[in-house]
Amino acid sequence: MPVEVIMPKVDMDMIVGKIMAWHVAPGEAVVKGDPLFDIETDKAAMEVEAPASGILHHTVGEGAEVAIGQPVAWLYAPGEIVGDAPRTNSEPAAKMAKAPRPPAPEKAGAEPTTNDKFRASPRARKMAQQKGIALDTVMGSGPRGRIQSMDVQDHIEAKSTTPAAPAKNTGALHITRSKGGNGIPFVLLHGFAADAASWASVETHLSHRPVIRIDLPAHGRSQLHAPPSFKDLASRLRSAFDMLDLETAHIVGHSLGGALALAIADTRPRKVSGLTLIAPAGLGPDINGDALNGICRATRAESLGPWLKTLVADDKIVSDGYVRAAMQTRENADLRAAQRTLADTLFPDGVQAFDMSGPLDRLDVPTRIIWGKQDRIIPWKHALRARGQVALHLFERVGHMPQIEISEEVGKLIATPL
Amino acid sequence: MNAPGVPETRELSYAQAIREAMDIALAEDERVVLMGEDIGVYGGAFQVTGDLVEKYGTERVIDTPISELGGAGVAVGAALTGLRPIFEFQFSDFATLAMEQIVNQAAKLRFMLGGAVSVPVVMRFPAGSGTGAAAQHSQSLEAWLGHVPGLKVVQPSTPEDAKGLLLAALDDPDPVMIFEHKLLYKSKGRVPAGRYATPIGKAAIRREGRDMTIVATSIMVLKALEVAKTLEAEGIDAEVIDLRSIRPIDRNTVLASVRRTGRLICVYEGVKTLGIGAEISAMVAESDAFDFLESPIVRLGGAEAPIPYNPELEKAVVPQIPDILDAARRMANGQV
Repeated sequence: MPVEVIMPKVDMDMIVGKIMAWHVAPGEAVVKGDPLFDIETDKAAMEVEAPASGILHHTVGEGAEVAIGQPVAWLYAPGEIVGDAPRTNSEPAAKMAKAPRPPAPEKAGAEPTTNDKFRASPRARKMAQQKGIALDTVMGSGPRGRIQSMDVQDHIEAKSTTPAAPAKNTGALHITRSKGGNGIPFVLLHGFAADAASWASVETHLSHRPVIRIDLPAHGRSQLHAPPSFKDLASRLRSAFDMLDLETAHIVGHSLGGALALAIADTRPRKVSGLTLIAPAGLGPDINGDALNGICRATRAESLGPWLKTLVADDKIVSDGYVRAAMQTRENADLRAAQRTLADTLFPDGVQAFDMSGPLDRLDVPTRIIWGKQDRIIPWKHALRARGQVALHLFERVGHMPQIEISEEVGKLIATPL
Repeated sequence: MNAPGVPETRELSYAQAIREAMDIALAEDERVVLMGEDIGVYGGAFQVTGDLVEKYGTERVIDTPISELGGAGVAVGAALTGLRPIFEFQFSDFATLAMEQIVNQAAKLRFMLGGAVSVPVVMRFPAGSGTGAAAQHSQSLEAWLGHVPGLKVVQPSTPEDAKGLLLAALDDPDPVMIFEHKLLYKSKGRVPAGRYATPIGKAAIRREGRDMTIVATSIMVLKALEVAKTLEAEGIDAEVIDLRSIRPIDRNTVLASVRRTGRLICVYEGVKTLGIGAEISAMVAESDAFDFLESPIVRLGGAEAPIPYNPELEKAVVPQIPDILDAARRMANGQV
């Protein structure tokens, strides 16, 4: 039987993907994991790997748009007779949308979906059977999309609260990638209440290398569900990082993203070649709870603006237009609610309830910390807790957003090898 | 001062605890004799017997010639004819020389003679790597003997169990093989005074935990406990089971734990393939505990290689703390 190559789902709202280029011509042999073709969606471009070894046939032409889950080619075993293109194993895209069960949707080169069998832990199968739940309605959050008992539990809870609510705490985080660039990729983790777009001004200085941005849970285009603890949040990020399947990466984290960068590096030290922490959270208890609260609760530009100004040293950066644009990204009430919940979890009573100074002390990964000395959200003096091997870059007249306030300096710093 | 009924405990090394058990047995039961190479005046290859020869004389602490097959044969014969011998091997590797007596005689005679006799022999095997003694003096062959019906095979990991399992072995009417890890001889722990027996075939939960079960044997128990301590700081709650006995295996304790945690890591020093971890994993897979698994089982065991002499390679071929830690983290983080 030839192996089906399907159009993978690389971001949350992707319905179709466009084949930009094939790396392999029909009739040529590929080895599993080889780059097979490039796709482009409205937001990202990425390379898709061969899901199996074999000889490529029946390819969809370059420039064609293909619905996710639909075949774009078939891989034959050497000597296997190649006739007409086989009938697809995949469900039609419309049916998939109704009953979402795409295993490991973000993983490039995902294994072809099969209808009759999918991954579920024995415990999840037993639980689903006892509760009378069809496993194909549950989204798996485990490795390769394995459904685990937690997913079944979440499914039950989601059903009992709001029947229409999607399964929570499942699905990978929203990831976007730059086009081009060579070498060790940068993985960018934004701060609380921000999103991947906050890296825009710094990224122009990073374009020589691949850049990957991850939207945190309850932020941007990731699912709007607040993880119940810092540990869970860190574990979601770790899974997303693992899914990227990088040999190594330089992780850049701002504020909460800095704490999460430390959490990833702490458990994946061999996968992290360097860390840049910009005004990182987790190095001391203090944080400006009023500002977090104000930003979370603001429903109009008028109430958001004054709090946004506390983020930077020079108010003038925060123009009326900027505030309106920022408010637009926060229009979704579900997003604001999820972030309020997350703020209560991570920063109860205006205190940072998690401590990442341990990982910073024990990490053997080259690390730099960048901080503005007029930071009014997290005191820059937390940086002084770092041990001597960590490089400190402290800037006068800069607030909590160095990557926006002095984007060129920060961009060049990040691009400098550690 | 101890409350009535609570035995006094002292801190003893693992080797001292074994010697104390032998001392008690020699003093209480005149059928008990010690046999082995260099266990008399020399005090034993690892100085476990110590000065017992001075106390009990060469009639009861007997140096045997350099022939494991001969010595083990004498011990089996002595057991058949009414004594309670404790036979010490200098290195467990030399069990291979005595296999005829252990596997074909000691383990079989009760069955072949219709239950008319039993062979109450105890054999002690200094086992394991870590002493720079290379390929022929560092193996962990406990699973070999664990494969033989008619034997009982134990692996104490603490001084308390080293004493309690030896005394239990002497009480047992059938042959009991005790594998003692050489690196444990100097480890210390609280040991109750006087006579007590640690039941053979009963595992000990050394640390309770919710997130995963680590089943370990011998020195790997100590490593697993270190790992559990590190994991605790990371919010991962590992249960550590000291198997203590590999024949019979305490099925109930292992299965109950896996039903609770849903995840299993087996850690043992013997070669991974066809080893203790395979048995534990199969036990879970064949039982209803299977239904509670949340991820595949992970086994950490010795590499497919003789134990090398080079100290770094010697460490590399058996599971070390970072290996266990890494496996546990991967499991907790949903990577397996």
